Amino acid sequence: MKRRRFLQYLASSGFASLVAGGGVKAANTPSLRYLRPPGAHDEKKFLSKCIRCGKCGESCPNRAIKFFSTENGIVSLDTPFIIPREQACILCMKCGDICPTGAIPKIDYKANAIMKSVHMGRARVDVNLCLSFQGKTCGVCYRACPLPDIAIRVGMLEQPHVLENCVGCGLCERSCIQIPQAIKVIPNHTRVS
Amino acid sequence: MENVKPEPSSKLRHLNKLRWLTLATVFLMLILLPFIHLYQTYEAAHAYDLLTPTEKAISDAMESLTSPFVKEPEELSAIKGTTWSGTLFGLKISDPLAVLGQIFASMSLYWSFILTALIPLLATLLFGRFYCGWICPATLIYELNDNLAAWLRKAGLPVSRRKLDRRIKYVVLGVGLALSVYFGAVLFGSIYPPAIIGREIYYAIALGGFGAGAVFFLLTLLFDLMVSRRGFCRYVCPGGALYSLLGRYRLFRIKRNVKSCNDCAKCNVVCQFGLDPLQDNFGMECNNCTACIAACPTDALGFTINVQDSAYQGPGHLGHQYKKEQEGA
Repeated sequence: MKRRRFLQYLASSGFASLVAGGGVKAANTPSLRYLRPPGAHDEKKFLSKCIRCGKCGESCPNRAIKFFSTENGIVSLDTPFIIPREQACILCMKCGDICPTGAIPKIDYKANAIMKSVHMGRARVDVNLCLSFQGKTCGVCYRACPLPDIAIRVGMLEQPHVLENCVGCGLCERSCIQIPQAIKVIPNHTRVS
Repeated sequence: MENVKPEPSSKLRHLNKLRWLTLATVFLMLILLPFIHLYQTYEAAHAYDLLTPTEKAISDAMESLTSPFVKEPEELSAIKGTTWSGTLFGLKISDPLAVLGQIFASMSLYWSFILTALIPLLATLLFGRFYCGWICPATLIYELNDNLAAWLRKAGLPVSRRKLDRRIKYVVLGVGLALSVYFGAVLFGSIYPPAIIGREIYYAIALGGFGAGAVFFLLTLLFDLMVSRRGFCRYVCPGGALYSLLGRYRLFRIKRNVKSCNDCAKCNVVCQFGLDPLQDNFGMECNNCTACIAACPTDALGFTINVQDSAYQGPGHLGHQYKKEQEGA
């Protein structure tokens, strides 16, 4: 009987500490700017659907998808993310094909389908850093964009302007030659609307 | 005194070797697939000349390994994933624990995912915890760890073989499901050794370092060494709990043939799950690993088709106790 009491105590205290500690840690770290794989649901639904199998990363031909350890709370443990400055998404949509759980829905490899269903974030230009806005014609972000003139257009001196259709793949941020980068993708799940 | 010692000749005793082969194959595939992934990314980048010497070596090795089977590296995507959830030539197969966890975490039924667990589910209903003995990549390491424990014992180091309550793992399963609901996330993936192993091998090879799960897995190895033999599988593993429940009325189970049993108890010693084949006590926990069949010197253990273990059949007919009883009667 003594052992059973002990086990009950162990189980209940473990449960309590997990709930208490995990509840605090569950909130995402706001300073961390990351994207979820293309087409992923909003953060809450994504976390509840993802089983952390890692196949999205294994199917990514660009090696853009990495996996969280504990830095984003235990709820995000082992979930996929993309840091666009390190390696951006090329919108090949292979992760959605292989995802078994529907956390990343299957999306056709077509511009219309991608623009309709992919909302990773929106690029934002920092005019104080952007070379084109400083009078040095650059336009690299425009050339890197997979949806030129749909997601981004350039004005005088190749000055970039992000349009409504930007899906947030981050290829512009990846290619920006300024340090720190003058164009950044603001993830949809952290953006205050 | 008869001195008949027939050589054990049953074919079933080779099943244990076949099992080791299966375990090793699964484990090697888990190591090979990340390398294939790397090779595919190198090919997709069309930048062979820019690779470092190590990367070139990986690329060359994978090319020579796979070129007899496929024309384009793209076709290698037919086999992806781990035992937690994998893709085999378009067929998606997932662990039933993943499906259960996702149902509770998302509080919804996503049928195209639930159906991926159908094959493992049916197999478990037929064979019980066979996944734990035959496929689970963690089992390979746990069994090697158990051999290490035997060596440590021989060297005189204390290796504990405490017995805990088997029902702890059902508590872990229940609490895990409750926490999945509470957090809205599938938490089993982080404490379930086969999922951890598949993931951590991928992290180590493709992403260049182990993650948090590797630490947890090392702790479970220590738990097995210092607290209880195969303790994690027997007392903690939520997947083992689920498979035990599903395999409660499994059709294929190991049975002792009392007529050729000589009460040597080798089966009880060799059973890493601490079961009691000598007294016909297999229960839900038996993972059909067939180690007891391979160890039996008189071929008294074999398979039977029955939804229940037989009741205790008494001492083996070749043993001393049975003879004594016969003479007494």
